[in-house]
Amino acid sequence: MLGDAPGPGRVSNPFATRFTRPGAIPPLDDEGGPLDVASLFERAMSAGPVVVIEGAHGTGKTTLLVALLARAAANRRRMAFVRAASVADAWTVAAAIGGASRDTVIGLDGGERLPVGAFTLVRVLARLRGVVVLATTHRPVGLPVLARCRSTPRLLAAVVGHLPTHGGRIDGSDINEAFGRHGGDLREALFDLYDRFERRDGRG
Amino acid sequence: MTAAPDPRPLAPHVFVQFCHGEREYEPLDALTVRYELQGLGDEELQAVEHSVLWYTEGKGEEDMGVHFFERIVDRDRLPAAAVTRSFATDLPSSPLSYEGVIVKIRWCVRVRLFFTGGRDFVSEHVFTLGRLPPARMPVSEAS
Amino acid sequence: MRLPQFFGKKRGHRRTGSQAWASLGDAAFHAALLAAGLAFGGLLVSGVAVPEWRINHHFAATTCTILGKGLVRRVATEPGGGSATAWQPCLRVRYEAAGTTVDAWSNPARSTLTGDRAEALKRLSAWSIGGRVAGWYDPADVGTVVLERGYNWPMWLLALVLPGALIALGGSGLLRSLRRWGRSEERCAAGSRLAGILAPLSDMPRQAHGHPSVPACDDFVNSPGTVLAYRLPIESQESWSLLGFGLFAALWNSVLAVLAVGAGFDLLGGRIDWLLIALLVPFVVVGIAGIVVFARGLLLATAVGTTQVEISGQPLLPGGTYEVLVAQGGAGGIARLDLDLELTEQATFRQGTDTRTERLAVWRQRVRSWRDLTVAPGTRFEGRATVTIPATGMHSFASEHNAVGWSLVVRGVPDRWPPFARAFPLVVLPAPTVTAPVEARGEPQATT
Repeated sequence: MLGDAPGPGRVSNPFATRFTRPGAIPPLDDEGGPLDVASLFERAMSAGPVVVIEGAHGTGKTTLLVALLARAAANRRRMAFVRAASVADAWTVAAAIGGASRDTVIGLDGGERLPVGAFTLVRVLARLRGVVVLATTHRPVGLPVLARCRSTPRLLAAVVGHLPTHGGRIDGSDINEAFGRHGGDLREALFDLYDRFERRDGRG
Repeated sequence: MTAAPDPRPLAPHVFVQFCHGEREYEPLDALTVRYELQGLGDEELQAVEHSVLWYTEGKGEEDMGVHFFERIVDRDRLPAAAVTRSFATDLPSSPLSYEGVIVKIRWCVRVRLFFTGGRDFVSEHVFTLGRLPPARMPVSEAS
Repeated sequence: MRLPQFFGKKRGHRRTGSQAWASLGDAAFHAALLAAGLAFGGLLVSGVAVPEWRINHHFAATTCTILGKGLVRRVATEPGGGSATAWQPCLRVRYEAAGTTVDAWSNPARSTLTGDRAEALKRLSAWSIGGRVAGWYDPADVGTVVLERGYNWPMWLLALVLPGALIALGGSGLLRSLRRWGRSEERCAAGSRLAGILAPLSDMPRQAHGHPSVPACDDFVNSPGTVLAYRLPIESQESWSLLGFGLFAALWNSVLAVLAVGAGFDLLGGRIDWLLIALLVPFVVVGIAGIVVFARGLLLATAVGTTQVEISGQPLLPGGTYEVLVAQGGAGGIARLDLDLELTEQATFRQGTDTRTERLAVWRQRVRSWRDLTVAPGTRFEGRATVTIPATGMHSFASEHNAVGWSLVVRGVPDRWPPFARAFPLVVLPAPTVTAPVEARGEPQATT
């Protein structure tokens, strides 16, 4: 039998984006515990044509959105993903809803980028087409809120726990410092931890 | 009383052997990979893909470049468990493996198995191309 | 729009899951665009293009005698509840068609609807009762006659452009989704014969021949220097940002001037529009700020002067040594001018709905430094140096979101102006192997 020899000595930085991007880590609640994605999904499907996931930058909104879309796929429902990068993407969103078949679940990332009043149009279109829209947004938009994402140092520590091993190069104080330095933005905190890992990996 | 069978599919294992034991190659070297499949269980293979590729890792989006790709769907050529198969290619001149700070370039061999139930499984094995020293974090930014 | 890879579970170096559902939403979106393009295009073609083509190819020629003139009145209901009346001139003509004499109404040449009845009557006066004009009738319906042929090219353009864009976008996206359906990422990235046609406009830089992922250096070798072989392009965006500020200041203040003149005329006429004046105040502030920023940038650019760098060879090779010429313009003293060789990594990540790009210089070497320079107006300082690329240096690399690149950076500290830094990118190829051909142009000198 062939032997599975170890590869050349390379340690991946566990905070590299391939390990931290939305979808790579399961969604967690404020305290770092697992989120019941299944029941959240059921609530989303019954709450109306449009529900939102609220939260500031880097609090896990996209991660939760991706997990809910995965749940839709597992339930054999059609789904689509639209990212709004600017006001002009309101047309893209409308086209996605207009072109979707009934019972499609549409994930809309970056809802705060849409112009004022766009969500009214989104709700009307979604109801007409019989689709469900799950949107992320930074601010209240007057729609049912499925989840409010909030980051805490415990959540960041739990996220780090889901990553590949850092071999002891990162400790609790690093995590707290990174969290505090970036005002709770988990994504920036993870980039900060990336830099710390690189410095301590004998490369600084 | 017998235990109920575990409904979860078994995790296959792909044992890989490189023609260079240390898995270190120079540009334009010939790369030959031999591999064996274990733990297929009762699942039937539908197709197997061999690929030799590079990918980036770091603080940016992951980019990938496929240098060699082969897909086997012919039942007669599909590898059976514990039977050694191989594939080979000549490596390119670039990009070289690079251990940067915010950008790293890794070369690997992937063997991807497709089962008749729709499931797929991929096994990845890293090797190095070139002998570049790793980059270092700038001194002014070291803690 | 790209669906995230969320349904693959990654455990160490193994990944398992099903990719089949990933493309479904993407395909549905593009199918909707394609359907919209086909529907819109179909309507335009059937409503405009096909009738025009029939007129020009199938209608039979005849001679018409004008029997009468008239106006067609069209009333359209407006959204506000009112109605609008439009008038269209038309002629009553007699002609021979298929052995019979036919009397029918036809619109005069390309007559457009007009809301002005007098204008419509004026157009009709161009024709006289009893006059004879050329005409063409429809053999399938001899009662249909037109008095002009040809093509309405603007309408054809509209019929092609908008639906064409929707069809191209939707069709290519749909085909791309179908190609990716259930395919592994390696198989998709391995490409196909149709990849060049179906792939969207990519951010992938052009590659050097024979060196995958090494950026091409055509832009470098096509720019000859005045002293050394090649002049390096500058990477800094100072000139573009200055141009941008200039355009903004010009446009903004032009609009402001029009508004201000209007307000001024009102004032002279004894009417004071306080709302307009109140709105003008912040606009004036922004306009003045724009002028100040542009003027400052222009002053800096002219006072500090341009920097040019020339090099004796391109592309470069690890271990190679090359001559470099630095030319600095401007007027006045420069306390310090440094030339550095740098290796920089660049990584771009889509951060939620923002794009985050980070650059990090991971290696830097001071090549040469000059102090206490004085540049007379109309002249330039020229300094020479030699630069050696480290023998174990990484080659230039560029992919869609990541890059590793070399550059020569000139940093200056003028006596009376803020410091500046200008980067000039280089292309470094991988070190040649025994069997690989050496493609570098210029003659790298042997290291000592």
